Amino acid sequence: MSDKINLHELAEKVIKLGLSFGADQVEAYTVYGAARNVQLERGSIRRFTDVANSGLGVRVIKDKAIGMASTTIFSHESIESTVKDAYSLAKVSPPDENFKTLPEDTRSTPEIKGCFDQNIIDLSVEGFTEMILEGVQEAQVRDDAIIGGSFTAGNGERFIISSQGIDRFSKQTSITGYLSVKIQDGEDIGNAYYFDSSKVLADFDHLIVGKEAGNRALKMLGSQKIESATLPILLDPDSCMGTISPIISSGINAFSVFNRTAYFVDKIGDAIASDKLSITDDPFYPGGVDSSAFDDEGVVSKKLELVRDGILNTYITDSYTAPLVGLDNTGHASRGSFASRPTPSTYSLDIKAGETAKDTLLEDLKEGILMIGSSIIDMSGNPQISAQINQGFYVKDGEVQYPVKNAMIGTTVFEVFEKIEDFSKEQQNRHGHKSPWMLLSPLQVSGAK
Amino acid sequence: MLDTIEKVINKISISSKDFLDIRYAYAMGESFTVRNGRFDSVSNQTTGGVAIRALIGNAWGFTTIVDIDEESILKSAEKAVRIAKIGSQFAKQERMIKDDWVFEGEGGTKLEIDPREIDKETKFEKIVQTEKAAREFSDRIAETSSTYRESHSKEFIINNKGTKVENENHVVRIMKNVVAREGTEMQSVFDSIGGAGGWELIQKWEPEKEGLKAAEMGLKLLSARKPPSGRMNVIMDPSLTGVFVHEAFGHACEADAVIAKQSVLEGRINNKVGVEEINVYDDPTLPGLRGSFDYDSEGTKARKRTLVENGILKEYFHTLETASALDMEPNGSGRAMNFNFTPLARMGNTYVDSGDKSLEEIAELTKEGVYLKNSYGGYVMPAKGQFYFSCQLGYIIENGEMTDMIGNVGMSGMTLEVFENTYAVGKNWKPKFLGTCGKQGQGIPVTAGGPDLGVSNIVIGGNQ
Repeated sequence: MSDKINLHELAEKVIKLGLSFGADQVEAYTVYGAARNVQLERGSIRRFTDVANSGLGVRVIKDKAIGMASTTIFSHESIESTVKDAYSLAKVSPPDENFKTLPEDTRSTPEIKGCFDQNIIDLSVEGFTEMILEGVQEAQVRDDAIIGGSFTAGNGERFIISSQGIDRFSKQTSITGYLSVKIQDGEDIGNAYYFDSSKVLADFDHLIVGKEAGNRALKMLGSQKIESATLPILLDPDSCMGTISPIISSGINAFSVFNRTAYFVDKIGDAIASDKLSITDDPFYPGGVDSSAFDDEGVVSKKLELVRDGILNTYITDSYTAPLVGLDNTGHASRGSFASRPTPSTYSLDIKAGETAKDTLLEDLKEGILMIGSSIIDMSGNPQISAQINQGFYVKDGEVQYPVKNAMIGTTVFEVFEKIEDFSKEQQNRHGHKSPWMLLSPLQVSGAK
Repeated sequence: MLDTIEKVINKISISSKDFLDIRYAYAMGESFTVRNGRFDSVSNQTTGGVAIRALIGNAWGFTTIVDIDEESILKSAEKAVRIAKIGSQFAKQERMIKDDWVFEGEGGTKLEIDPREIDKETKFEKIVQTEKAAREFSDRIAETSSTYRESHSKEFIINNKGTKVENENHVVRIMKNVVAREGTEMQSVFDSIGGAGGWELIQKWEPEKEGLKAAEMGLKLLSARKPPSGRMNVIMDPSLTGVFVHEAFGHACEADAVIAKQSVLEGRINNKVGVEEINVYDDPTLPGLRGSFDYDSEGTKARKRTLVENGILKEYFHTLETASALDMEPNGSGRAMNFNFTPLARMGNTYVDSGDKSLEEIAELTKEGVYLKNSYGGYVMPAKGQFYFSCQLGYIIENGEMTDMIGNVGMSGMTLEVFENTYAVGKNWKPKFLGTCGKQGQGIPVTAGGPDLGVSNIVIGGNQ
């Protein structure tokens, strides 16, 4: 990090300042991140980026009212005025009677292996570029393939300090990248992308990124419009995770449960899905891209079995929402950025595998849709789903026939969970996010034919 | 600040064919949300720093720094040049920026009433009353929230070609969101007003009326008919026309996507892309809208863009780089979210211009289909030309007349087919889609709109 700033000292200073102004409780959340990015255009290097980001978020409590302020400017004047702003906002805000206290947690910070790799920091611009161009070569499945993409290698530090005794520090590295490939035969366009993400350089597979993006683009050629019908849907592991993860995260978030907008309000102990579904949330998965020993309030995270055999076991909570739903704090506070107020969110989901081979799931499909790298979700946040099939194939008698063009699925989150018919025994592990293939009983498919 | 930046520009030695610009960007804003009767978030945010871009040979180098002293900026600029030189060794595409376009001046949003001079209690009052009116309407209203936001930003931009610009933007917005619930059925209603300007844009918001209106609609939607599924005739209201023209058509008009061969509109300038009644513009000089500004983040003076004239594609959105590459004129579309990002080809206020049909006339022409209203947003795959949008509600059209209300549903189609399949263009375009447009991780304020538009062969993703 910057040699001019000590984030811990800065955070301590924030706490002292806030208390000296008259705050009852103060929390400082400071982050520093450095990232190198390579952007590609038409298979060639377009831009190198080298940026360093830092930010401070301050939460001040006064008479049960909460004020928040943030800044990216770390001068003495800016820090002081940020704390003052947070305090002034708390002073003019009405009290929040639901607020109990900022969290207290004196447990030692668990160690998670594989979250920091010096090789990522030491990666030279030239070395990074050569690696990316190897991926591009894999994606060049045809001479006329149009390849775009972006790769980022970075490192970050996080300090959370509060007047309630929280004092946590974490650091991590990451490398992430995607390639998109477009292939065109006249009006026929095959377009696909693939990505990988890791905290350790050796685990990042740039060649697979290229290979999968290229091969998928080829497969997407020759798409056809289909007739509307009720069809079973087979989802690949990315599509399965892309569907299950947002439903469960929104559905059992204690903030939404308290507000009565979560999908699974008052459902602890009840069946919320087919008995095939079991999900665990594991914050401690070694090297997991979303692993974290403590949450964004500094509370030690907790591995949770969220759903077992279709029965909901728990909600996910943070310090604010745990007392509101009558549960312990599960250490799931998450902030969109240093400037945001935390709300509960999941870490790395492990969707339990089934016993059927994925090839059998496909072979047994008389007529249906195979979805890859997509999801069945809706933008509205409501339980009704009206989702586009982004990368899908029409399947007849166990054989993939052709990609589908301009088709949609109309359903609800409840129907998706109820209609889970089977999971494959094979499970994809994307650095802690584990998912099998998933077969759904027939859903309404809207076609453009 | 301009002096410091200018000194650094003068100290960096690069070829006159190369390009270097330095942009200092500072922004502050505040945001208040009240949810279910309590303050959910009361916060302010400050960001500030310097962004440096160097185009050396055929590759860009981009660095940012939060320290604003001359030495730090110089060091960061040298790094931008250094990494651009390395990139250029690997770059195959030719890239340059012409010397022709030099802009000097100062610009800024006109403020009638500076929101920074309005006390917080007055701002709180607007959202508290909106939320309260909605919450107390019925016990079937599960969640109510209202948010007020304002942001104030300033940019200083200097480049080695001679551009020297200072620009200020001020954006205000007030929003309401209601979720009605009965059992497992939920329906959401969202609306907002605001734009580039001051408190005068918020004054007309009548909190109680707005809260009640949202709650009433939420309850109505709970008992609305289930949406149909399949391919059909659709009337898109001004909000959905707006989201289509922004997300599907507008993004395909961004010249960086065109150059990257990721747009279905590549090579179609002066080609027919719609029926003759279709005219599409983007105008950041319209006052008071979210996408209004005087200069973009490259210092180019903003102007109205004519994207489609009588069904013929006329113009793309350009940065200095894309205009150079395609031998066209820059049109002030290089926008960046803040100092941490490079300017990209972006939209401002994009709209389909008015036609001559009333809504009743369009329904009559539709015969059987749906009228869809109020966008939730959507996404598009520009390379493939396929789009998806979600809308809050709609009405069934039977025998040319609006009948039953339907709840939220998604629609999907092919970008190039919509304007070709347009059979009616409504009167009086409205800037009804107020959004934050996302591209490569950058969110910027935009407005989009249009009239009611009758379009055939749209896929509706209902479950009936």
